[in-house]
Order: sequence, then C-alpha cells, then structure tokens
Amino acid sequence: MRKYQYTFLLILTSIFLTKCSEEYPIDEDGLLITTRTSAYVGSFEILGSDFQTVRTKVAVVDTVAQTIDVEVHFGTDLSRLYPQFSLVTDAKLEPKITGFVDFSNLASPLQWTVISGNRKIRKTYTVNLTVQQPTP
Amino acid sequence: MMKILSYRTAVIALVVLYITGCKQEEYQVPVPESGLQNDCIKKSNGPNMPGVDMEFMYAIAIQKSEGKLVSAQVEASIAGASETYIDRHSYHTDDNGQDVGVIVTEPSTNEGLTTKVNFSLDTNAATLRFFYRPSLASVDQEVSFVFSATSSNGQTVSYNMGPYKIRRMERALNISVADGQQSFISIEDMKAYNATDASSRSEAIDLVYLHRTIPGITFGHALIAPAADAIYRPGLILPAGVRRDAKILKAWNIRDIQLEPNVTGNNTFVYLDDEDFKSIDLQAAPNYAINMKAQSGVWIETTDRKYRAFVYLNSVNDAGKSAVLSIKRYRM
Repeated sequence: MRKYQYTFLLILTSIFLTKCSEEYPIDEDGLLITTRTSAYVGSFEILGSDFQTVRTKVAVVDTVAQTIDVEVHFGTDLSRLYPQFSLVTDAKLEPKITGFVDFSNLASPLQWTVISGNRKIRKTYTVNLTVQQPTP
Repeated sequence: MMKILSYRTAVIALVVLYITGCKQEEYQVPVPESGLQNDCIKKSNGPNMPGVDMEFMYAIAIQKSEGKLVSAQVEASIAGASETYIDRHSYHTDDNGQDVGVIVTEPSTNEGLTTKVNFSLDTNAATLRFFYRPSLASVDQEVSFVFSATSSNGQTVSYNMGPYKIRRMERALNISVADGQQSFISIEDMKAYNATDASSRSEAIDLVYLHRTIPGITFGHALIAPAADAIYRPGLILPAGVRRDAKILKAWNIRDIQLEPNVTGNNTFVYLDDEDFKSIDLQAAPNYAINMKAQSGVWIETTDRKYRAFVYLNSVNDAGKSAVLSIKRYRM
C-alpha cells in the first residue's frame, strides 16, 4: 500500500512541475517574444573597412522623427560600411545586417525597421549619411 | 567478523602506505652518454620567406675525456643566399637570461649547398647558430637541412631538420617616405622614389604618399593611386607618365611582426602568410586611403594584378609630413 502512495505522490509532483513551466513563444529567428512594446534605436555606430569608426561625431538619433543623422570622414569608402544599431531590450532589426553595406547612393538613404519585443510594433528609421567636406 | 576484517584491512593499508610513502629516492647524477652527441631546434618563428633568415640552434658535445669538437656543417637541400652563415659564437644564457656569446670557430664558409665552420677553440661542447637566408630560387619549394659535426676522436654525428616550405612572399623594411620628396612608391621595386626618378619608372609607380592639413576635414597621411580622383590628391603634381591605378583597402590591427621585427613591448602581432594574399578580395576596394595612422596598413592590388601587397606604416611624423613604411608583397 505504501508503495502505491509513493507512486501517486511522484505522479502528482510531475504534474505540478510541468504545469508550472510557462512556455514563452519564439519568433522565426529563434528569439524570445516578450511583452515589451518599445521599439527604438538607442545609439548608432558605423565602421569602415578596417572596422574602425568613420564617424566624425556622435550620430544623432531622433526617436520621434525616426531618423539617424551621421557624418563620416572625408574619403570614407561608402560602398563598404558596417552599421551597428543599439536597440531597446528585446527588440530586433529588419533587414538583418550580415556584413558590409553599400551607402554610396546618398540620394537614397537606407532604412531599417525596429521591431518591438512583442513583435507587434514596427518603427522604420532612416539613416541620413553625409560626408565631411573641406571648409571653403 | 566484518569488523575484524575491516580493522585488519585498514591496518595493512596503513602499513603499506607508510612503507611506500616514506621511501626517499636518492638523486642520481645523470651519466652523460658516451660519444659525440648533437641536438637541434629551429629558433625563428613565422613563415619562411626570401630575404628573412631562418635561425637554428645546433648543440654538439662530447665528454672531455673522449675528445674535442673539430668542425660543424649544415647541408641544405637548396642553396641559401650569400648571407647564409653559421655564427662564430657559442651561446649560453647568463643569470639574467641574456645570451652570452663566446667565439669558438673560424668564420663560416659557404660552398654550394654546405655552410661549414672549423673550431678555433679547444672545446668539447658548443651551441652554434645557423642563419639560412632563403634565395628567390627556393620560393614555393621545401628546404631541408642536415646538421653534422665531427670530433677529434674521429666520430661524426648528424641531425635532420625540415622540410620547411619557403613562401612566395617578399618583404622590404623601413622605407622612408616624405611628402613632396620620396613619395612615389613602387610595389614591383618595393622602393620609394622622388618625382624625377618616378618619372623614369612611371610604369611601376603604384602609390603616392602625401600629407595634407585641410580645414574642415581630417586628411593627414594618405596613400593614393596616381589615378585616384583629384579631390583625394589635392595639390599633387604627378610626374610625367605616372598614372597607374590600384586597389587600396585600409586595414587596422594587422601588425605583422615580420614588418616590425625590432619592436619591443607587450603587443599583439600576427604573421601574414601567402594564403592571406591569395584569399583577400580587393575588387571592390577604392584607389585611395586617407587619414592613415601609425601601425595601420593598406592592402594593395596593382592595376595589372601582378602583385598583392600589404603596406604597413611603422611610424608617421605629422610635423615632418613623413612616414616610415614596410611592405610584404605576394607575386600572383
């Protein structure tokens, strides 16, 4: 009889443990989908082909206008730049940055979308890149 | 019954432990082996390439009662350049870890594949240093060495080393360049020329060094192809015929110790190898690099795609508008 009591207790404990583990959903990238609704860029960096910064000063991130204004050094090779976005917690970027990006068409600024942790809020940022010019 | 057994087992184990644990082994002075002995190690690191010495340390000894050292030689499978030699000194380290050399041989001689020394000092032990400088003829081949020595009692010993692959890379160190003076650089010649000499070697000039201070922008030290857009070479007058293009890609944190061999300090270095030059893709690279810093570099591909090179800036001098650079070059 005592043997059955132990078995019963074990089954109950197993049920309790499995019922208490809450399943968090993950998105198509295998990232956790959370409850956070924020979607913004905290800061922005841009590196040259030598993986050194090419900014002349800190990039200006406007979270209301959803723009990033950055000036790069004169002579920067615009066809091989590596942008780096610092995002709010749990957010992700689209499209993904997997290598150097071609910024050489300055007339057509590139855009990235920040997606919130709950994957429901999407905010598109425009990166306005300018090149440092000699003082006349 | 169990208690008695456990007690007896424990007592026996303790006795065994006491006997074996307290046994003191007497130090035995090693007995040197009889006859002429030798050993060898390769001291230099990194890829082996023409113009860069490969250094070996060859130790030979015989017991004093049996004789003394008479001669030593190294036979290479491919003849080295004329700079190949065996150092006359035998080295040991002092209390501070510094190498101390004592002259023990006559100057070495090269004959064909063999480099040889005769001992000038009565000694029964020595560690000689052999410096093999690969020639251009050994490029892309493997070289091996047979170290050997003879003693006064007629014994001979030998030691085989290698094979070692000789790379295709070549290097040139400490090329001084200055704005408006020695500023025209040829990858083919691995030299810098002034405007007059550059004009006569116009088909071989791949880069121009210049330094500019321009209000509003950071220009500084620059390496540009003669064919670069004029905005990247302000105020530069190109000598007649100097108009070649090149692919130029800035690089940072590639500090090749073979391009900065005398540096001291706790720094991180790498070795560039043939494979790095073969695999790098420079097709999308621009033809200029401005705002260069000391210890940075540029990858270059000449316009005829005959050479790829890494040009390293050993130092820059802002006030003097000059720099010292070193080149590692790979023939495609």
